[in-house]
Amino acid sequence: MIPAFDLVILIFVVICAIAAITVKDLLSAVMILGAYSFFMCLMWAEMGAVDVAFTEASVSAGIGTVLLIAAVYRTTRRSKD
Amino acid sequence: MVDFIVGKYNYWIYIVLMMIGFYAMIGKKNLIKKIIGMNIFQTAIILFYVSIGCKKGATLPILGHAHGHAGQAIQTSAYINPLPHVLMLTAIVVMVATLGVALAIGIMIYLKYNTLEEDEILKAVK
Amino acid sequence: MKILNLIVVVITGAILIYGTMDMPGWGDPDSPASLHVSPRYITKTMEETATPNMVTSVLADYRAYDTLGETTVIFTAGMACILLLRKRRNGHG
Repeated sequence: MIPAFDLVILIFVVICAIAAITVKDLLSAVMILGAYSFFMCLMWAEMGAVDVAFTEASVSAGIGTVLLIAAVYRTTRRSKD
Repeated sequence: MVDFIVGKYNYWIYIVLMMIGFYAMIGKKNLIKKIIGMNIFQTAIILFYVSIGCKKGATLPILGHAHGHAGQAIQTSAYINPLPHVLMLTAIVVMVATLGVALAIGIMIYLKYNTLEEDEILKAVK
Repeated sequence: MKILNLIVVVITGAILIYGTMDMPGWGDPDSPASLHVSPRYITKTMEETATPNMVTSVLADYRAYDTLGETTVIFTAGMACILLLRKRRNGHG
């Protein structure tokens, strides 16, 4: 654990989370959520939880993003808020 | 005071992340936005649990020279607590399972009402 | 309505931040979480399971029933997705 590195990644994570819920286009929101997942994976690798980081990178950032893109493709990209 | 802030600031940032997800779940009208908020909330809770297992000056929970020094005693403080990592591996997989079911229900709602906005769905139900 | 949501979120966050005041600091080696159960796993994992990676030995050996339950959860979720998204034959049902 390195506190300075940790603080920088945490700030990126918070920026990604705020951007993911404020952007109007749903496909952009899903893409920003993928970036959020990868920052989170970096954070866990920094904390020493390498197994959790591998699982997050493959399962949440990979399969989760694919599922969300498939859902957006089958429904609509527009959103009112 | 400085020690207090250095020891606690990351808990506060995790709570900020959790509250961002919570606000998206209760405040946004779009169903996909609500699901994204649920994902952020779950990830923040998992991050909180993983950070509990951290120890200053400890290394990864993998025994480096395990086969060479079989009889040597292992220092507990030299390795990070592996228990939260194991439980959170399970939680990540359950997170993706709930995401899949939620998205399937969202697609069925869209096919029936032709919209993803909560207020329009409520108007169509009435 | 937006203001009400924001008030609920801020109150919940304040209660949670008040709850962190009693928590041990980040990276404290003497925190209760790292004193009670985990030393057993750290010290005994090599002689009992012969696996250098402690996370793997706890996941698949000490707590294998937990992993079995997790597999059941994934199976149930997959079945739910299939049942929701299958092609309807005659328009309803």
